[in-house]
Amino acid sequence: MFAVLYLADFSLQAVLRNEPAKAHQPAALFAASTKKSLVLSTNLRARTAGVELGMTASQAVARCPSLLIRTLQLSAEAEARSTLLALSFTLSPNVEATAPGICTIDLKGCDPTKLSAQARTAVTSLTHLGLPATCGLAVSPLLALYAARVASPVLYVTDAAAFLAPLPLATADPSPEFATVLAQWGLRTLGDFTALPRDEIVRRFGAAGLALWHRASGGSPRPLHLVTLPQTFFASLEFEESIETLEPLLFILRRFLDRLSLELTATHHVAAEMKLTLSLEDETRHNRSFRLPEPTADVEILFRTLHTHLESLQTAASVCALDLQITPTRPLVRQQGLFESGLRDPHGFAETLARAMAIIGPDRVGTPQLEDTHRPDAFTLTPPADVIAAPASPPLHPAIGLPLRRYRPPLPARLELTDGRATYLWTALMHGEISTQLGPWPANGHWWQADRAWHRTEWDIALTEGGLYRLLQIGDAWFIEGEYD
Amino acid sequence: MSALASSIASLRQLLSERFPQVTRSPTRVLPTGIPSLDDLTGGLPRHALTELVCVAPSSGSQLLIGQLLHAIRTGTGRAALIESSDSFDPNSWPADDLRCLVWLRCRNAGEALSVADLFARDANLDLVLLDLRRTASRELHRIPASTWYRLQRAVEQTNASLLAITPTAMVPSAQLRLTLAQSLGPAAQNTPRPQLTAALNLSVQRQRLSSQLVVG
Repeated sequence: MFAVLYLADFSLQAVLRNEPAKAHQPAALFAASTKKSLVLSTNLRARTAGVELGMTASQAVARCPSLLIRTLQLSAEAEARSTLLALSFTLSPNVEATAPGICTIDLKGCDPTKLSAQARTAVTSLTHLGLPATCGLAVSPLLALYAARVASPVLYVTDAAAFLAPLPLATADPSPEFATVLAQWGLRTLGDFTALPRDEIVRRFGAAGLALWHRASGGSPRPLHLVTLPQTFFASLEFEESIETLEPLLFILRRFLDRLSLELTATHHVAAEMKLTLSLEDETRHNRSFRLPEPTADVEILFRTLHTHLESLQTAASVCALDLQITPTRPLVRQQGLFESGLRDPHGFAETLARAMAIIGPDRVGTPQLEDTHRPDAFTLTPPADVIAAPASPPLHPAIGLPLRRYRPPLPARLELTDGRATYLWTALMHGEISTQLGPWPANGHWWQADRAWHRTEWDIALTEGGLYRLLQIGDAWFIEGEYD
Repeated sequence: MSALASSIASLRQLLSERFPQVTRSPTRVLPTGIPSLDDLTGGLPRHALTELVCVAPSSGSQLLIGQLLHAIRTGTGRAALIESSDSFDPNSWPADDLRCLVWLRCRNAGEALSVADLFARDANLDLVLLDLRRTASRELHRIPASTWYRLQRAVEQTNASLLAITPTAMVPSAQLRLTLAQSLGPAAQNTPRPQLTAALNLSVQRQRLSSQLVVG
């Protein structure tokens, strides 16, 4: 049994799927945007309005004033072809890319009772992806193609002769001379033609007659030219008109992700990383990589990751092209340790972090890591870990004293000194009499590097009205570095 | 305003008389390891917004934050610390306790509240700390009450405790309000931290939680 997924007016559909608002308008496809360019393809509404293949643009618009004129877009066609191929792999791994807009699928080994339902699901999925398709199911690839061309949207041919008999002769694609002769004989349908004795046809028309007779009788099963899905997961599109708002960009990205997710699933992969490149009108590029906290092929999660980034992005110029590349990996099968802290919702956490970074900046979010130095306030911020190891044993000697609540930068201070001791403190935030002073504690470091050397003297002071502070002297200047809290 | 308050009070009175059998569901709490808090309330309530008012300087709010981080780390959870004034000092704490922490160094109260709104909805956290202690009172009083109610509604949907640290009582939606009113003296600088934590003088100003507690 074979199935054929068929996209009528493929090139036109490929272009129009990126303009969902204009899906119900009459449209025609031209080879180029020149005056002498001719109509290559039309949709049903344009045909109904009288637009025919081979017309010039002015003739077509004269017939149908509301006609949408579009030109061939190779990148849109490639994207539509990839989408059709990826979806064909949901039916069977034996797929042939027969022609643009036509995929033939060998359904050997599939449950015949479920074929119609599976085909219907595939057609519905294609429609959701912006590619209204039809599907034919039959015992030979050619018969399945004939069925797909007349299906609405799925046709399962069980009686080949009865199905073929009323179809017009043009279905079997006879040469023009052949078609003229057969018309003169009064033959109108495939049934009329195949009713003639095959040997007599061969005697009169030779090999060409035999080939037509075979095509008219639905052909026979043949081995398919099998294709495999690409192992690189990439999507790209150049816009006819550059984009200035978020919505069309998100729409295209969603289309890309729908297709890439199908390809990932069909090849048993998940996405580990996404790389987004926006080419801008001013010939610059915006590049961004998204490392996923947990590899996934879920379209919603992948889309949300991109959406979160793009909604806070401002570019200097409008976007004229878009590339999205996914780095695949195998799904994780590791089980976490009993005492490790994993994330309940890794993708939700990544999204929360991304949103927070968009508000306060990526350099102000993270897990603090202490640096191996005595330099004051030395730490780095690292991305929060997906899995945290079990807690370490508590230290043998617990810390002494209150932790510091810092002022960044330290507060400039003025002091009143009596007999070499500080007795009164003034800063922009507090002032008061100093009741206790502990110190000094001189410290220095990196003296061997002129640009990083530091030298300071610290005191702990208590104010009479309450409050413990760290007093800092650098050179002749005084600061309050923080409050012990 | 007072007429409205009295109307609400009378409505509450009427409802409690009309439906005396209605009881609140038990409160799940996060044990903190701070004796004065665990004895009073069992710990920090989950799914709820708690306010910690630090009236005096050096009253131990950073000590409390560090102890909460330690409790979260021991319980293999995760915490977020959102600050409006970038005052947290990582070097005051063991490196291991910091591994469970996401630190968000905001520049003002507006940023801190926006970020808190995100983290209060995240299902991965056990504790969200919103430290506004160094924020100017004028800026804090510009925060509309609806913002605090929104935060309370957000955290109700998760398993987290949300603790807002403020210089004055100002969170109308707080289910629990604690106060640290006493400054610690210079002797604290020679005292081991576990003793300081045990001696933290927390008092309860408001409690709207069920008296039935479930620890964990």
